[in-house]
Amino acid sequence: MKGRVYKFAGVALVLYSLIYGLLTSIPELPIIEQSIRNLFYHVSMWFTMVAMMAASFGNAIGYLSKENLQRDIRSVCQAEVGMLFAILGLVTGMMWAKFTWGAWWTNDPKLNGSAITVLIYLAYFVLRNAMDDERKRARISAVYNIFAFVMMIVFIGILPRMTDSLHPGNGGNPGFNSYDLDNRLRLVFYPAVLGWIFIGTWIASLRYRLRKLQA
Amino acid sequence: MTQILPLIKRFFQQELRNSNALFSLGLYLIGITYLIYLLGGNNTADNTWNTLLWVVVFFAAVTQSSRSFELESSDYFYYYQTVAGPGPTIIAKLLFNASYMAVLALTTWMLFTFFYGNSVYDPGVFALGLLLGSIGFSVVLTLTNGIASRTAGNATLSTILAIPLMFPVLKLTSTINIQAMVGVSFEDVLPLLGALGALDIAIGLLAYLLFPYLWQD
Repeated sequence: MKGRVYKFAGVALVLYSLIYGLLTSIPELPIIEQSIRNLFYHVSMWFTMVAMMAASFGNAIGYLSKENLQRDIRSVCQAEVGMLFAILGLVTGMMWAKFTWGAWWTNDPKLNGSAITVLIYLAYFVLRNAMDDERKRARISAVYNIFAFVMMIVFIGILPRMTDSLHPGNGGNPGFNSYDLDNRLRLVFYPAVLGWIFIGTWIASLRYRLRKLQA
Repeated sequence: MTQILPLIKRFFQQELRNSNALFSLGLYLIGITYLIYLLGGNNTADNTWNTLLWVVVFFAAVTQSSRSFELESSDYFYYYQTVAGPGPTIIAKLLFNASYMAVLALTTWMLFTFFYGNSVYDPGVFALGLLLGSIGFSVVLTLTNGIASRTAGNATLSTILAIPLMFPVLKLTSTINIQAMVGVSFEDVLPLLGALGALDIAIGLLAYLLFPYLWQD
């Protein structure tokens, strides 16, 4: 029962954010209008992705220090779930971009960063498939995972802040906090992030158990 | 230090003796630059000039580094590591690749200047950007080649691994170079140069820490 609490919490929080996110009152802003509700669905995907990749990174470090193969399996499962959330984040973001910026894809540093992140982790899966020996695969992909995570943080966390972006909070655009991330939005946004992280952890643990059975 | 220098010397000797590879790389640079010239590269805007330069440097870097562990794929690398220890071996390899890459980048710049005329307003900043960029390139490529060489000879794997990882370095360097071309004041370029330098140091350190795990059997 103890281990299940977070799963119930995850389902409850996600349902709450899905339903209440559509019902809650929102600040009235030009252009963005009702689409601001996508904050709950789009931004929480990226938060969850970073959390999953961070967990995968942690397990990669753990594997290199302890040489425990279970760590490696956990690491790859978390990276896979992180990938799922990255794709969901891209899709929800593209829809939002179409309705507020007028195009599915723009040459924006954050968009480039997320596209590169997807490529980096696809390369990670390719690398894993290129090796057969379990231990060797675990060690070498852990090395790549660590390097990739650091590069991803540089690309989505640091570079966009140095250049202009259409996203709020970068290059002269005010951050959400300064004008509209008021308490009504926070009340849905933070639970949504937490709920999706729980759901992501749940999926990763299911995949982990599946992989262990297959191994 | 006493172990690093002889190793670097050894890597350079190896490269010079293998003059076939060196010539083919030089021929590639001249050939591709002239090809771009024939296709009208002498008439480009700053942005295109810079993009072309980086595409040429990028592929030169990939070609150069793809041979990075070729000689070592036998037992050379193990031998160096036993003699000098893994730390100095990797530092020597990184320094060798970085200086090689810097020479390649500077040669490409010279060729571009020769064929298309000089479009750079501030050569000092441009050279600095090129230099820091080559260091970043070589670190990423050395690591990914190390990884690829451990996976039973998959030639394209290294490129697949390296391309997305090189983007942060590439993006910063090309921004710096564009600013050097149009002549942005040094104080305004400094944060970007600092960021690129910090990134180089960070990934260099990371590569140094991670490398020993690649050769642990």
